[in-house]
Amino acid sequence: MTTDDINIASGTSGVLRGSGRDRRASYLAAFGAVAVTAFVLALLPIWIGDSRTLMGVAVAGLLFACYAIAFNLIFGSTEQLFLAVGALAGIGAYTSAIASDRLGIPFPLAMMLATGLAMLIGGGFSWIAVRRSLGIIFTGIVTLTFSLAFDNLLLGQRGLTGGETGIVVDAGSDTFLRQQIPPYYVFLGLVIVYLVGYVLLHRSHIGWAFRTLRDDGVAAELAGVDVARYRIYAGAIGGGMLGFAGALWAHVEGFISPSTFTFVHVDVPVVVMLVFGGIGTLMGPVVGSAVFTFLGEILASFSQMRLIVEGALLIALFLLLPHGVVPVLRSGASGLWRRLRPSRS
Amino acid sequence: MTAVVLDGIVLGLQFGLLGVGLTIVYGMGGVLNLAYGSMAVVTATVVSITMRSGWPAGPAVLLGIVTAAGFGLLLNLTIMKPVYRRRGEDRVLLSLLLTIGVAFIVDGFLVWRYPIEALSLSVGGDPVLILGVPMRTGSLLASAITILAGGALILFFRATTTGKAVRSVIQDEIGARLCGVNPAAVRRLIFTLSGALVGLVAVTQSMTSPVPISAGFEITILALLVTVVGGLGSIRGAFLAGLILGMVNAMSSFYIGAYVTTIILLIAAALTILLRPSGLFGERT
Amino acid sequence: MLEVSSLCAGYDSKDVVLGVSVAVGEGEVVAIIGSNGAGKTTFLRAVCGLLPVSGGGVEYEGRSITDMAVHEVARVGISFVPAERHLFPEMSVAENLALGAFPRRPDPSQLSLVFELFPRLEERRRQAAGTMSGGEQQMLAVGRALMSRPRLLILDEPTTGLAPKLATEAYESLAALRTQGMTILVAEQQVPLVLDLADRAYVLENGSIQMEGQAAELRDNPTVQRAYLGVA
Repeated sequence: MTTDDINIASGTSGVLRGSGRDRRASYLAAFGAVAVTAFVLALLPIWIGDSRTLMGVAVAGLLFACYAIAFNLIFGSTEQLFLAVGALAGIGAYTSAIASDRLGIPFPLAMMLATGLAMLIGGGFSWIAVRRSLGIIFTGIVTLTFSLAFDNLLLGQRGLTGGETGIVVDAGSDTFLRQQIPPYYVFLGLVIVYLVGYVLLHRSHIGWAFRTLRDDGVAAELAGVDVARYRIYAGAIGGGMLGFAGALWAHVEGFISPSTFTFVHVDVPVVVMLVFGGIGTLMGPVVGSAVFTFLGEILASFSQMRLIVEGALLIALFLLLPHGVVPVLRSGASGLWRRLRPSRS
Repeated sequence: MTAVVLDGIVLGLQFGLLGVGLTIVYGMGGVLNLAYGSMAVVTATVVSITMRSGWPAGPAVLLGIVTAAGFGLLLNLTIMKPVYRRRGEDRVLLSLLLTIGVAFIVDGFLVWRYPIEALSLSVGGDPVLILGVPMRTGSLLASAITILAGGALILFFRATTTGKAVRSVIQDEIGARLCGVNPAAVRRLIFTLSGALVGLVAVTQSMTSPVPISAGFEITILALLVTVVGGLGSIRGAFLAGLILGMVNAMSSFYIGAYVTTIILLIAAALTILLRPSGLFGERT
Repeated sequence: MLEVSSLCAGYDSKDVVLGVSVAVGEGEVVAIIGSNGAGKTTFLRAVCGLLPVSGGGVEYEGRSITDMAVHEVARVGISFVPAERHLFPEMSVAENLALGAFPRRPDPSQLSLVFELFPRLEERRRQAAGTMSGGEQQMLAVGRALMSRPRLLILDEPTTGLAPKLATEAYESLAALRTQGMTILVAEQQVPLVLDLADRAYVLENGSIQMEGQAAELRDNPTVQRAYLGVA
């Protein structure tokens, strides 16, 4: 997995170099993919809507898709290895839960607060990494220590966080968020919003800056791109996405505990999902999380096997399929498209 | 107070040796082996199971350590090959990811099959008075073994031809190759040694408190923290950082609490990276 | 002793050395001269196994060493001293020298030979290599290379970073080695120095041999004089 791999997978060639028609075509392709996915996923409750368990699994799957999209933004677009995905989501969740239950803040406001905090911290990580010129590895280690420290903080501060046993989240319990079907559509909506946001972001000047700084950070600086600022944007936006998703989960699920947001429980699966789906691709996070949620269901009875499977997949993926599945599908699809279209002179 | 300090030293020695095993692998070729803790629990499992089926402690421990050493060698011969083909940051990143994968597989398997297993070696005898503090014989033996191992390591690296060859690869790999040193062979040796060291630490630690099979990840993180504070690749740094962090751990656990202690250690590592990334003795990064 | 035939080598699949053939007989001193970027360093690295060979071959004392890894080449009796020296900065002079003898333990008689050649090294035997001056580091690099009792000594620009006086001293040491029967292959930018020492020389430019012959002849050659000896 090299930075070159990330560039190839995200299809650096393409968008900006095309003519107006090509650009519109790629917007169409992107939004089209999102729309089709939304449609297909929207139909899912038809089959599983009766089962509370299965709906729960599906919502969790959508949650992880949100995580993966955020991580895709942070790692795929700006090469910042934030091993604090779970922690950032946890910050969102706990802040919102505590603010709404203990401080009486209405929970939509509490969620905003939580998101803001996560944005601050995510952006903060990027800022520190830039200020201290931390490479990928050290950024990873620092964010990992943050994750572990956060976990220990949650476990230790029983008074505030309920410690190991977690806390029941009352806020939102009287809304549609706690019913069987609506949370699914809420989270589906969030996934769509995140995907659309991802597309728009990457088609904007910010996305251009991302691509440039990935290609060659030094050249980008020389060309006047403020690498620091764009990294911080990515960290903050990604952090905010994670915080919001976590906060939403707290109010939907009604219960959160430290184990919901640990490195092993969140970060590792998210990395596996994203790599499987394809880092830097639009639909990679969704494909990855869909496949893994499905696999997780099948292996549900062998819960210990889960770790073993994740480990084996991690190895297999990084050795054999570092670009993930989507680029493979994409080249297959474009090959097919080329064959179907009448040839142009 | 003296008791806490002595506990800190005992713990610090363990931390130090733990860090050394991980740091030598990094010094060898810029590789982070996050399956390190898994090697420790493999030893713990082997020793525990063999003793349970009647083996005396000596051979069981030996088998356990040899198994960990073999695990290290196996890792080097398999997973590490694609890793060494990369350079610089890519190499560290790939090593990190692949070894996490290995750690998950091994830990997952061990916890699945032996979920409640824990290694605990009881060393007989009454507590000995050191500076007025009764110290358990287990702690004393563990410390003595660790000091001996440390001494042996220092001797190895300073005085033997092979040890010097290892240091030469760390300091200038091309220079080492020009002298006829085969870096691949040295890496095999270091991975094997790393496994043996962490296995030894698992054994000595079990003389002071039980080592559960689920502790793999925890051990890896601890070793990582010691290594980072000491300076990636520095043996001296790992020993010193281990002693410091062990002391901090003992004091903090005693006066404050378990969770905060962990947080303090984590912060120590994070601060090191932020303020002095080369650690106590590390090379200029 | 050393037969290099039509060697091709380079970086990132682009060859820099394009079919170079060089021969070094036992006891000879052979020089390779050429301007910066001519390919001298690439050539020597490929011969010694630090770079992969993409074409041609290298034979040493009758056997092919083309695909040998550099640590194996070091063990068959060839010692290479690169321009960057690659010493072990945190080890003492004595330890650096000891490693030169790897995998054998350092031979005391060989050590005294080295100290005779470079008395300053003996004075500083406990000093860390990284703290020494350029000239001393160069001495150490050559000394280390000698510890394995090589039959062929290959040097890449041994005068890199050396003041003129030290450069001359370096070549005096090489001359002393030659008298003791050492075979030497040296790539050098400081042409006058090396042509004085060498028996034969090759001119390497743009990756291929432009001229070869007896060192004395090349010294008198007007093209060589114009290009390398600063003679108008």
